[in-house]
Amino acid sequence: MSQQTDRAEQVKRLQRREGWRRRLPLVPALLFTIVVTQVPFILSLWYSLTEWKIVPPEPRNFIGFDNYVDLLDNRFFREAVWTSVWMTVSAVLLSLLLGTLLAILLDRKFFGQGFVRTLLITPFLIMPVVAGLVWKTQVFNSSFGVLNWLLDSLGFERIEFVTRWPLWSIVSVLVWQWTPFMMLIVLAGLQGQDQSVLEAARVDGASSRAMFFQITLPQLRPYLELGILLGSIYLIQVFDYVDVITGGGPDSTNVPYFVFQRSIGGGWQFGQASAYSIVVVIASIVIATFGLRVLSNLLEGEKP
Amino acid sequence: MAEVRYENASRIYPGTDIPAVESLNLDIPDGELLVLVGPSGSGKSTALRMLAGLEFVDEGSVYINSEDVTLTPPQDRDIAMVFQNYALYPNMTVQANMGFALKQQGVAKPERAERVQEAARILDLEPYLDRKPKNLSGGQRQRVAMGRAIVRRPQVFLMDEPLSNLDAKLRVQTRTELADLQARLGVTTVYVTHDQVEAMTMGHRVAVLKDGILQQVDRPRTLYSRPVNLFVAGFIGSPAMNLVEAEAGGPDGVRLGTLALPLDEQVAHELAAREPGTYTLGVRPEHLQLASEGIAGEVTVVEELGSESYVHVAVEHQGGSLLLVVRAEGETMTQRGDNVQVSCRGPVHVFASNGERIGA
Repeated sequence: MSQQTDRAEQVKRLQRREGWRRRLPLVPALLFTIVVTQVPFILSLWYSLTEWKIVPPEPRNFIGFDNYVDLLDNRFFREAVWTSVWMTVSAVLLSLLLGTLLAILLDRKFFGQGFVRTLLITPFLIMPVVAGLVWKTQVFNSSFGVLNWLLDSLGFERIEFVTRWPLWSIVSVLVWQWTPFMMLIVLAGLQGQDQSVLEAARVDGASSRAMFFQITLPQLRPYLELGILLGSIYLIQVFDYVDVITGGGPDSTNVPYFVFQRSIGGGWQFGQASAYSIVVVIASIVIATFGLRVLSNLLEGEKP
Repeated sequence: MAEVRYENASRIYPGTDIPAVESLNLDIPDGELLVLVGPSGSGKSTALRMLAGLEFVDEGSVYINSEDVTLTPPQDRDIAMVFQNYALYPNMTVQANMGFALKQQGVAKPERAERVQEAARILDLEPYLDRKPKNLSGGQRQRVAMGRAIVRRPQVFLMDEPLSNLDAKLRVQTRTELADLQARLGVTTVYVTHDQVEAMTMGHRVAVLKDGILQQVDRPRTLYSRPVNLFVAGFIGSPAMNLVEAEAGGPDGVRLGTLALPLDEQVAHELAAREPGTYTLGVRPEHLQLASEGIAGEVTVVEELGSESYVHVAVEHQGGSLLLVVRAEGETMTQRGDNVQVSCRGPVHVFASNGERIGA
């Protein structure tokens, strides 16, 4: 009997060693990640419970949850939250819609398909700041912008787009950049479809419309959900576009930009800003948890 | 209820010169189960898909009920198809899968449910109506695919290797059930398979294809006893016919070494009129036997199947070694290494150098 427990011990030890042998190469990356993300996060948690102003330098005071309580009263914060919600939701949904339409077109065979696909992906490859600057100075600008040149040559009055519709100006740049991403995800879904299922539907007498809405779209669902998830996680943190295009202001200051304004962007209220950012983190975690469930469903669904 | 006709129907895939199916002519009467059989790449699936409308017909025409459907889209042909991987709609329940075609036709919900119920009863699917395909076993999925076809009461059933994803035992069982179901419903059926045993057991008639060309279409028995060419002879029958090259022609008859081989009268007659030369002889394993005298050889393998056994015998032929498969009793005493004599009792098929059968 003791021999058996010995054997069990041995097996366990071997398994442990095997486990470490696999994990070991990941340790440096893990340590690095902890140092650059988790340590600052814990510090932020601590800062968010203090009142801490740097310019002019003042001593740090522990004030408990006052920063969080103040948040609820802060009209600017509430506006920033709404701007964030609007910006994220509209950009994600619009880019998903456009991306799906383009993916359906790209799913067909035509001459120059590869070339067109590459062109359509290009916006996604451009750096956010560059995209923001290009749109601001060459599309929206009232003197040099393409849009205004168009309006002018059609005989309409010039419009200062960014001033008049700050939120929608940013959203259109976001949609322009994120449509290719959504398109690629949906295209993968379309091309992963079982061709014989579509053939079966045709033989069963389905019209093209019925085929799309009753067969293709339900099968695309996990891909659409994935697009929404990844898009939301990225777009809720948008900062560069806001900074470059409008530089804040009513209707375009989202939460990340608000945090920036309150801290290194001129407010220097690090305690308060930390509390804001903690709220953003919690919101992101909620979305991500929700989304990861979707993702695992997707992977599960692929098993036969 | 319908008859199907292929008239010189060809399919040439874009980018190739060689037709996948070349001038196919086939007449399928009402209620028949016709099996298209051939090795992979023989064009049997393409021929089926041409009838389904999933493949263009580049030349010739296809008729269902003497109506030209060559250019009719699949949804207007009133056919039902069972796919090799079943192609069930993954997002729908069994019930919705089976009712999908009726829904497209605008059949009212109560009637739809009734017809689905009826089909489910025939196929023993009633307990699974609310499940999704991914929660079914392979055999159940296969039955759902069948159900989806019979619910529609179509003119023609098209089946593209419907049993090849099942395990061996279930395949044999389903084979009989399917043939029985087809006979009961009496719906004209075109059935594609690469398995010649399936073809022989199920088909009222069997059409053998090779490289897109129809070789022979006939009742299974005729296909077996009178193959029109070397390809059909070698393809039909398991284990395959022994094919041996030998000198023949003229009045001397046919010999394999010292062994004189029996011929049908007609074959002998026609062969006598031909030039002597090299011909291919075909002998079924059951027409060979281990005997006290005949051509001598050594046993290399014994395959015991219980009811019978197949003895592989290496004999000397034209200076080389030749392997003959001989059918023997189930309880044979023969072992590897034994020296045996093989004699022939059945009629031998003779094929000319171009592969054509000699003697109709």
